[in-house]
Amino acid sequence: MTSSSTRDLVSQPYKYGFVTEIETEKIAKGLSEDVVRLISTKKGEPEFLLDFRLRAFRHWLTLSEPDWAALGYPRIDYQDIVYYAAPKQQEKKASLDEVDPKLLETFDKLGIPLSEQKRLSNVAVDAVFDSVSIATTYKEKLAEHGVVFCSFTEAVQEHPDLIERYLGSVVPSGDNYFAALNSAVFSDGSFVYIPKGVECPMELSTYFRINSGDTGQFERTLIVAEEGASVSYLEGCTAPMFDTNQLHAAVVELVALDDASIKYSTVQNWYAGDENGKGGIYNFVTKRGQCRGARSRISWTQVETGSAITWKYPSCVLQGADSVGEFYSVALTNNRQQADTGTKMVHLGPRTRSTIVSKGISAGSSSNSYRGLVQMGSLAKGARNYSQCDSMLIGDQAAANTYPYIRSQQPQAAIEHEASTCRISEDQLFYLQSRGIGFEEAVSMMVSGFCRDVFNQLPMEFAAEADKLLALKLEGSVG
Amino acid sequence: MIRPDAELLLDITDLHAAVEDQPILKGVNLQVRAGEVHAVMGRNGSGKSTLSKVLAGHPAYRVTGGSVRYRGDDLLELEPEQRARLGVFLGFQYPVEIPGVSNLEFLRVATNTRRVAQGQEELDTFEFEDHVRERLKVVQMDPAFLERSVNEGFSGGEKKRNEILQMALLEPVMAILDETDSGLDIDALRVVAAGVNQLAGDHNATVLITHYQRLLDEITPDFVHVMAAGRILRTGGRELAQELEQTGYDWVDQELAVQGVA
Amino acid sequence: MTGSTMAPLAPVQQRGRQALERLGLPNRGQEDWRLTNLKRLETLARLPLAKAPSDIPLPLAPDAGLRLVLDGVHDPLDGVSLPNGLSPLPTAELQQALGHTLDRCGCAEAWPVELNHASSQHVLALRVRGEAPPLELVMAGGAGLTSTRVLLLVEEKATLELLQVCLSEGASAQSHVLEVHLGQEAQLRHGLLAAADGEASFLAHLAVEQEPRSSYQLTSVVQGWSLGRIEPRVLQVDGQALTKLQGLAVTDGEQQLATHSSVRFDGPEGELDQMQKCLAAGRSHVIFNGAIQVPRQAQRTNAAQLSRNLLLSERARVDTKPELEIVADDVRCAHGATVSQLQEDELFYLRSRGISATDAAALLLRGACLDVINQLPGLADRWQPLNRVMQGLSR
Repeated sequence: MTSSSTRDLVSQPYKYGFVTEIETEKIAKGLSEDVVRLISTKKGEPEFLLDFRLRAFRHWLTLSEPDWAALGYPRIDYQDIVYYAAPKQQEKKASLDEVDPKLLETFDKLGIPLSEQKRLSNVAVDAVFDSVSIATTYKEKLAEHGVVFCSFTEAVQEHPDLIERYLGSVVPSGDNYFAALNSAVFSDGSFVYIPKGVECPMELSTYFRINSGDTGQFERTLIVAEEGASVSYLEGCTAPMFDTNQLHAAVVELVALDDASIKYSTVQNWYAGDENGKGGIYNFVTKRGQCRGARSRISWTQVETGSAITWKYPSCVLQGADSVGEFYSVALTNNRQQADTGTKMVHLGPRTRSTIVSKGISAGSSSNSYRGLVQMGSLAKGARNYSQCDSMLIGDQAAANTYPYIRSQQPQAAIEHEASTCRISEDQLFYLQSRGIGFEEAVSMMVSGFCRDVFNQLPMEFAAEADKLLALKLEGSVG
Repeated sequence: MIRPDAELLLDITDLHAAVEDQPILKGVNLQVRAGEVHAVMGRNGSGKSTLSKVLAGHPAYRVTGGSVRYRGDDLLELEPEQRARLGVFLGFQYPVEIPGVSNLEFLRVATNTRRVAQGQEELDTFEFEDHVRERLKVVQMDPAFLERSVNEGFSGGEKKRNEILQMALLEPVMAILDETDSGLDIDALRVVAAGVNQLAGDHNATVLITHYQRLLDEITPDFVHVMAAGRILRTGGRELAQELEQTGYDWVDQELAVQGVA
Repeated sequence: MTGSTMAPLAPVQQRGRQALERLGLPNRGQEDWRLTNLKRLETLARLPLAKAPSDIPLPLAPDAGLRLVLDGVHDPLDGVSLPNGLSPLPTAELQQALGHTLDRCGCAEAWPVELNHASSQHVLALRVRGEAPPLELVMAGGAGLTSTRVLLLVEEKATLELLQVCLSEGASAQSHVLEVHLGQEAQLRHGLLAAADGEASFLAHLAVEQEPRSSYQLTSVVQGWSLGRIEPRVLQVDGQALTKLQGLAVTDGEQQLATHSSVRFDGPEGELDQMQKCLAAGRSHVIFNGAIQVPRQAQRTNAAQLSRNLLLSERARVDTKPELEIVADDVRCAHGATVSQLQEDELFYLRSRGISATDAAALLLRGACLDVINQLPGLADRWQPLNRVMQGLSR
């Protein structure tokens, strides 16, 4: 391969690595029952929510950090983390004009303008800065359709009944170590409620920004689609570049009733650490959707590029008859990033169907693991799963692992799993180059071709962006 | 050959059938007598293949109305294997590959069940080998195919020859050949057609399901039926096939529109 | 001089007993044992050592080839004159070689291996040179636990056809450890036919080291064990070798059968072709775990793994887990897994030719089994492997 095009091409710097100078209200580092109570008090929460937090916290104390993933990182000191940080401003503003201009500027720089004049035309955005939501656009327009889209904090105040009914109903507070931690200390996040028969008129999006260097981010997202409702939701995330690692432990719960459909997309671009593995986000996330109703559908699409450590398995519990679960994933690791990600498709109802398409790209000295479970319960007659897990290796220092667990207790269920490993071959590169395509572009073409099946699933506004993001992340890694 | 007094083998009346709740056949009527060769033509999706699957008893196809009598008895009540034993044969458009199951063993088991049903002696392994080698000539097939797994790794043409070989062994009364000509080059087509012609006689009948005229150049039909939208739209003699070859199927749409079906 | 002697085993036994005490029984917390029926394992561990050989009738010994009977009690070489190509390993060499391959394959301290260490009283250790005659090892122990251990050093360019037959009945168990070292360009065609009546248990470790350009072909046909666990561990020490693993695991009744294979390429240009078939009927549970490791030095590895599972009853269970770990970019690794019942379109095709539904299903099952059974070494024919498997399914 030509030497001019090799790894000495410097990686493009992470362009969202700036820090916003803003006065922040933080509580002291450390985690205890008092801290849990303090967070709850600060948010003026009802009794049931404090109980939920305390139960989770007490359970968390009995758990130990999972060690089964193919990940290696130094022990996390849970007492050295700030569990609540919020930019200082008065009560959440009635109008965007009253939001601290520094915050608006921050989101402007991230490409997520929030002000009336500049906001994206057909995407409603909830912007979360450290522990709190600072603004949500298009709320009124959505309200006309009966759609609730607001910060979690607001939802607790305004729709406590819905929160009480659905919170923890998909991911119980003690589900796993990180979910229990989140349940105890979560600070904000988004809440979406689509009433019966409503097709959400626009894309919904939450943008998460970590700003503080010593703060953990623990957001909670809950999306409920009632009978016949449908929604497409996109999550984006960035963080500044710090030498230290920040912990992000989110929980996302999706509930789809009869004939409802939820499409959840993530473009994850937290800071990944530098080329020596210094700094970056530890991303331990529990995402699960429950197809509770007949013919319901939940689709996860993720483009994972940014964390130092990724531990994430967006899953579907297919309970309703004829319900459908989908998982489309691109996970790219470079330098010293480590990702252990995949999905669980738990087929409980008859004739449930699931599709898994996972594309892992490992470059540099990174490690990228697909870990998945497809389970056919004894009542899942006529259920079907098709999985495809492909890995692309770039360079001989990167690792690609595949661990697809399959379990079936139903003879009339069919499971089909295929996996392959490939690399960008010199012949292919040469062929493209001989047609006049530049080296970097040729690589990028092949990578995006490799990921095509997944990008096709992203909302249109973001598909091109994901493509660019990948090209950016890979620059300089081939040679 | 048309003989009005010949035995009525197949009597289809107002047949309706569905796949996964999707209605495909919407009232098919067809009568086939011994000695006759019928061609059922039509575009993709007209219901031709469904008709053949229903006649053979494929479990994925549900009969929702009408009746099919085979030599006077209710055909639809019978399991697929019972139909085969009584002489109904379906030549598949896409014969499945069955790895691990030897073609020879499969042919022997199938032939013997048919023989028993006809009141004949079963053939032992050696007798069967001789018998099958004799029949291989009908389709000019290499005996090496017997040693392989059923249809596994066969080319399209080889699979079709294997179908006709099975027909030669099972000696059906009512043979339904679904798109037997698809995927064949002209030489293979001639071999297959010659096989079909050789097996046709006074006491059996053949229904050819096909898309093109070219098979009918090799096997001359007594009747040609045109299917559309799940029914037989028009029936004629061999000249209808030639007409179709020249004018195509466009008139079908007009006719359907007139009938308010399309 | 005999290749089977107590002397080198005394310290091994000692260490094995200590290890068992230290390790305790495997538990659910260990990923490798998560799905195991531990109660049965406990029962197995408590069985007394078998004192007498079994009385299961055997077919005549092969005309062309050597049969050795391993009953755990007697020296398998007693009164046997070895043909050209096979010779016993001298004690000094045995001491050096014993356990080496287990070590290299990373399974020297696995619980089933320690159990075997603690309980084996003989080791059959042979050197294979040139074109050795086919070798048939019959492992048939009486009531209780029968532990057998075999070490084969297949020298450069030597070829061997090896058939291991393991039979058990009633409340008995067999523990087996095989170590094979294949020299450069050596070829071993290895068959394992292990069949029981649904009550006996079987734990087997097959550890194989392959030098470059050697070829190892394992065909295992395992059926009818209350608790079965077969663990082929192959190491291509310097890549450039050919490994072919084909397994057929059949369970019925309340049986549980696990196949845990691992293949590691410690050099470039290695090749693996693996196919595991599992058929589960009744209330049985069949497990496959197939690890493939392709480290950095294993460029141009070509590995393919297929796991095909047929669930034959509403109450049977299958767990399958391929594990691929790859750190080399210029490799071709593909794997696939399917779980289903018999294919409806295949059944229909056969029925449309007059074959009854039951016969069609049996024909398809035989076909599924024959794929693997046909790959057993020729010596296996006398043992009627297909009949054993089909009988096991209809019991």
